[in-house]
Amino acid sequence: MGSPAERRIALLFIAPALLLVAVFRIFPLLWGFVLSFFDSDGMTKLEFVGFGNYVALASDNAFRDSVENTLILIATLPIWVALPMLLAILIHQGVPGGGFFRAVYFFPAVLSSVIIGSIFNMVLRYDGSLNAMLKAVGLVPVDWLGSGSTALYVLFSVQLWSTFGMSLLIFLAGLSTVPTELVEAARLDGAKPMQIWWHVIIPVLRPIIEFVGVVTTIGALTSMFGLIYVLTAGGPGTSTTLPEFLIWLEQGKMNRPGYAAAISMLLFSLMAGLAYVQIRIMSKNANL
Amino acid sequence: MRMTLKAALMLGTLLSGTSAWAQEITVWDWKSSDPLSVPYYQKAKEVFEAAHPGVTINYVMQPHDQYYTLLGTALSSNAGPDMFLMNGGAQAKARFGALLKLDDKVADIKDDLVGWEEFADANGVYAVPLSIQGFVVYYNKKLYTDAGLDAAKPPKTWAELAKVCDAIKAKGAVPCFAMGNKEGFGIEFWFSSIAATSWTLDEQAEFAAGKLKWSSEPVKAILQSWVDANKNGWFPQGANSTAKFMDEYEGFMRGEAANTIGLISDVAHWKQFDEFLGAENDGVFPMPSPTAAADKKEGEPNFPLAGGIGYGINKASANADLAVAFAKVLASPELEQIFFNDAGAVAANAKVDTAGVKSPAAIEILKIMATSGAPMAHANATAKELEEIHRLSQLLLNGETTVDEAVKRMDEVQAEAHK
Amino acid sequence: MAISGTREKWLMRGLSVPMLLLALTCLYPVFFAINNALKTDKDYILNRFSIVTDPTLQNFVNAWTRSRLSEYFLNSVVVTVGAVALLLAVSSLAGFAFAMLRFPYRKLLFIVILASLMIPVQVVLVPFYRTIVTLGLVNTRIGLIISYTAFFLPFCVYLMTAFYSGLPRELVEAARMDGAKLIQIWWHVMLPLGKPALITLGILNTLYCWNDVLISLLVLQKERTLMVGIAALKGEYTTNIPLLMAGIVIAAAPIVIIYIIFQRRIVNGIATGAVKG
Repeated sequence: MGSPAERRIALLFIAPALLLVAVFRIFPLLWGFVLSFFDSDGMTKLEFVGFGNYVALASDNAFRDSVENTLILIATLPIWVALPMLLAILIHQGVPGGGFFRAVYFFPAVLSSVIIGSIFNMVLRYDGSLNAMLKAVGLVPVDWLGSGSTALYVLFSVQLWSTFGMSLLIFLAGLSTVPTELVEAARLDGAKPMQIWWHVIIPVLRPIIEFVGVVTTIGALTSMFGLIYVLTAGGPGTSTTLPEFLIWLEQGKMNRPGYAAAISMLLFSLMAGLAYVQIRIMSKNANL
Repeated sequence: MRMTLKAALMLGTLLSGTSAWAQEITVWDWKSSDPLSVPYYQKAKEVFEAAHPGVTINYVMQPHDQYYTLLGTALSSNAGPDMFLMNGGAQAKARFGALLKLDDKVADIKDDLVGWEEFADANGVYAVPLSIQGFVVYYNKKLYTDAGLDAAKPPKTWAELAKVCDAIKAKGAVPCFAMGNKEGFGIEFWFSSIAATSWTLDEQAEFAAGKLKWSSEPVKAILQSWVDANKNGWFPQGANSTAKFMDEYEGFMRGEAANTIGLISDVAHWKQFDEFLGAENDGVFPMPSPTAAADKKEGEPNFPLAGGIGYGINKASANADLAVAFAKVLASPELEQIFFNDAGAVAANAKVDTAGVKSPAAIEILKIMATSGAPMAHANATAKELEEIHRLSQLLLNGETTVDEAVKRMDEVQAEAHK
Repeated sequence: MAISGTREKWLMRGLSVPMLLLALTCLYPVFFAINNALKTDKDYILNRFSIVTDPTLQNFVNAWTRSRLSEYFLNSVVVTVGAVALLLAVSSLAGFAFAMLRFPYRKLLFIVILASLMIPVQVVLVPFYRTIVTLGLVNTRIGLIISYTAFFLPFCVYLMTAFYSGLPRELVEAARMDGAKLIQIWWHVMLPLGKPALITLGILNTLYCWNDVLISLLVLQKERTLMVGIAALKGEYTTNIPLLMAGIVIAAAPIVIIYIIFQRRIVNGIATGAVKG
């Protein structure tokens, strides 16, 4: 524990952040928590139903399917973190064209889901450019977005494509703190590139890897709505329905904010659980 | 501390006098910046402000895909607008709780307008309709002729429709129907179009009340026709990843399909199709049905006709009476005439002069409107049922479920929703 | 800092090929947007896939006037600059404290900030709006600046903390022993050292604030921001794609330019000196 002066100043330093977060994030979270125990239409109806919403969710087919899709998403998360990291390391280590790549990889992140949606609708439609290319080389065309077996993975791929640039940027920032002397020293000692990566670079990157992991998980679970809406509208059936999409649906179209709040609470708990696991894993590996 | 701040702010607003003598009516919609509708909205504002000095109209346009989310947020926070636009049917009905009952206030224009049902329930009416909406089949006359069909004689029965699709299929150039079912709108249009002829008026009412089950013959038959049409190759491949608006229609406009179920007002309608196909090449007919109901005539199919969009008045508004007056201006014959001429919106006001219309398709539509309108079945289903049928319709096209399984599931949802 | 050794050199050359393919796919949207922005709507509907044959700049003109981009542009700039400045200042202070200083409840408070990252936006909307209305912040740019700061703060604090915790604590100790006050240490040591992360956050936050539509729609109802104006170019059901593309090109251009200028600075890293050894 630091000196009294240090404690005071430290708390002062975090005060603005805490205040804003408390008012605009924590308070709404608690408000939503309370609301999840009510059946409401946002205007006149407000009826206490206890755990009613949660019980209804357990038997809601759409919700169950969205949870299944979420589990699939979580299983693919290592790729979402590893790909930008690998690309960042390669660029950092001087792969030919690195400067160009560094500039260009960020472009998809700048685009809103509207333009990404327009482009990929064009490319992935049954009569779109991707199938046209496949037909040209003699392969069978696939209804990428309209068939239950491919739609979800296509959705993930598009989302990954549009967000990896941001993770790349963060990794590059982290790599810039790797002390050059350490790398030089290791190389002079005869270490191979892979060893340098594993023993020197990645340990320095550890807090950044953890950050990207947590943030990517959260991003994938809370910001895919725009893309889902434009590419598949949750379909076909429920094969691309994710909890966040359901929240939007229940709140806006179906006009059931209490139900939407219950889904939000469950989503929040899931993310908190995942973050906890990720942070534990990274802390355990702190002494790599 | 916070109370004093709030009081100070209120005092400040009072002192600045903005609300002292100038009243403002806030109107939310998603159309007021649309170039085609701008003349209509501008004129309405001018006419109203001239008649009510000291009052200004404040249009706030929201993008449509966030419209209901924003509206819900504002209403829940007791900070909603004075009046707001809504789509007739499920969306409007879900919001009656926030709307002012209008019956006595609109008694004077009640008979001038049609389309009230989509904005009313047993207790009364809650919004003023502006336009009429309906579904009809548009067809590409040239593609018909190319396939050896008589373009001047569109199909009137299901058997004739099957013959048309067989001929189109034989020709092999394009699919018989354009179909976009990504958001599930494809099934909605198909459903209501066929129900318009195959259900009696009583059955329509029973369906709205949740009493006509999905597993009953009249309803089940429609889902069966959906599956059969797909099996017979009437629809193109990839319907589930094609958006109805506008991919399906753009395909039709490019001449990539022979028929499409389109609207009569505003969008995906005669005005738009005429521009691409040419007014002489753009034909129209009401969708035939496999069976005709007892109170309908075989060979003279009906088509769904319903109130399209309308303005409701916020119950909590401080300027309710002025807002009602403005709604009446928006629905008046002179203004509706502009709406019709510029945007091609079929006006809810019967006094609008349609004699100047030149498009053959539009003339045909106006003709059949007088005799062949029927309730729009899907508009009377609950939001939950619609959501579920959207999903099931996609699975039906993919072959991932059967009609029997689907209607069983729909029965459950229907019972749940009408509890 | 290139790898030496011929085998590694060839490996790198080989890897640059798939990386180039990926880069081309990232560039495609730029081509797509500009190509289609130059078509008329009718032209686009009839020839979606082809390169434009009769280019017209009319869409750019229409997008500019119809979305009132000249007014909205200024709003976006003011709000974005304000929010980003506030975010960088507040998050670097908090990150410094969490990473380097010792105080009671440090872990707990950090978890609270982390937890607030995970709250889905939908559940926040109504209480957020109510708060904004009560505080009288509706229709004010200050209100939007505060809203953005509040929404993106957890992410920024988390990154600054993660970044700073990779730096040696001895730095701060050494400066303290030299008699520096903590606030001076923040200004003279932490801020410069934090440059890569701060620039990164600057870019990311500029992106988020600039592109945001939902929060902006709620808070600023009369004077809109740029992206909202662009979003309104989408009709209820129909979209004039060329017009929308023209609007997007206009709206995205500032971000792209900012990114290209600043992204080199990130990789140049921390100046040698105090950090190493």
